Amino acid sequence: MNIKAWIKTLIFYEILLGMKQTMMHLLKYKPITLEYPHVKKQLPQNYRGMLALLKYDDETEKCVGCDLCEAACPSRVIRVVSAEVPGEPTKRYAKEYHMDMTRCLFCGMCVQACPVDALGMTQEFEWAVYDKRHLQLNKEQLLAIGDRSFPVKEKRLEFQHPNVAYFNVSFKDIPEKEF
Amino acid sequence: MNEVAIRLALTLSQIGVVMGLVLLTVAVLTLLERKVLSWMQDRMGPMEVGPYGILQPVADGLKLFFKEDIIPAGANKFMFCMAPVLVLVPALIGFAVIPFGPNWTVEVMGVQFKPFVISDINIGVLYILAFASIGAYGIILGGWSSNSKYSLLGGLRSAAQLISYELNVGLSIVGVLLLSGSLSLVHITESQVGGFWNWYAFAFPFPQFIAFVVFLISAVAETNRTPFDLPEAESELVAGFFTEYSGMRFAFFFLGEYANMILVSCMATVLFFGGWDAPLPFLQAPGDYAWITGIIWFAIKVYSFLFFFFWIRATLPRLRYDQLMRFGWKVLLPIALGNIVITSIMAYIFPG
Repeated sequence: MNIKAWIKTLIFYEILLGMKQTMMHLLKYKPITLEYPHVKKQLPQNYRGMLALLKYDDETEKCVGCDLCEAACPSRVIRVVSAEVPGEPTKRYAKEYHMDMTRCLFCGMCVQACPVDALGMTQEFEWAVYDKRHLQLNKEQLLAIGDRSFPVKEKRLEFQHPNVAYFNVSFKDIPEKEF
Repeated sequence: MNEVAIRLALTLSQIGVVMGLVLLTVAVLTLLERKVLSWMQDRMGPMEVGPYGILQPVADGLKLFFKEDIIPAGANKFMFCMAPVLVLVPALIGFAVIPFGPNWTVEVMGVQFKPFVISDINIGVLYILAFASIGAYGIILGGWSSNSKYSLLGGLRSAAQLISYELNVGLSIVGVLLLSGSLSLVHITESQVGGFWNWYAFAFPFPQFIAFVVFLISAVAETNRTPFDLPEAESELVAGFFTEYSGMRFAFFFLGEYANMILVSCMATVLFFGGWDAPLPFLQAPGDYAWITGIIWFAIKVYSFLFFFFWIRATLPRLRYDQLMRFGWKVLLPIALGNIVITSIMAYIFPG
């Protein structure tokens, strides 16, 4: 052992280095704490938060009750009861739509699976409740979440657009839609 | 009123003031430790209760006071209840011989009375060491009586640690005792008055700085603080000897630990850094006002030692068990013994 290393051991050189480091942090005090309930973090745009059902700009539901979200869900969160739109035998909608959010793992596969973009993931994450039954959401609640999280709504598709109406021969027999 | 009653009243009020100050300091320390630790770790510490979290000790105290008091099944009830008291009382009792200010005698209604030390007994150092070792019994018994393997391991570790470090505390003090020729803390402080070159850490015949370092390391080990907090190692033994304690009993252990920290800081101040003495003579207020600056200097020194404890805690990780024992027996003990030898030779060559 050379004399330099010996002296370093004797005066606790390494410990002093560490103490200098902690002291520097104390003197240059820059906390990285975000005081959460008072200050909230800016979440990224693709944040996968609470799920919501969306509507078109004419306040009609997007969901067509196809059950693909239920099939895609790995945790069996979603339960859809599909039914015909009354008076329109070729169209379907979700008569009941339940989500058991206690099981949801926010993978977003239902959103990807949806063919009409009826599901969306919001930026909400403060969903602590006192009763876990409050996390079993029905269609009205999910639509309400969608309303408050996505105020700008998509325009409803026009199936009878002039460019395509020519081909949609069979559509002529269908009675006029009533909403 | 006869003399005994006046003396009793004076002493009791003095004890009340000292106890109050110590417990107040403990409350301040709990906040200060969390704040200093978090500042060193780029956090903020408690911020919610009161402005900048300064009322956190009050909230903590209330919480502990209203918590359920659980005695685990199979625990030795008597020992379980006695252990926290056995930790707290010796820690508080040690303050009886600490001189907080100048050794003045005031006459109150015909009774001689020393306002800045509760009792100036001629074996003050021994008294503190003896009670500090009794405090360890509380830890060991608390660990044993909890009927829990973690508590038992914590208690055993505490016993082993105490044996290795109590010795070094005693031996590192011997140098100071050789130089001052007294065991009374008041006399030791008196003989260091007059500037920092008279303090035993830097004093002429042989500076006791090495002994001071040994004392400080052993003191950290004796108060069960990081990096020697093996008895309560959170990451290994849940909470060590007080795993099973809750509510006020837990608070007693907590109070005892912090009171011990203050006591050890007071001892380091008195033995090595001149107690209430100012580092330069003109910084001490003249004449009858010397006690004000004296107490302020004492507080500054004690608080810098306490800050050192926090600093060390923020810096160092916990030592392994065998490292701790090896360091105590094979490094600190020879250093302390060598210090005694050299100090005695120097004290013989340059008698006082």
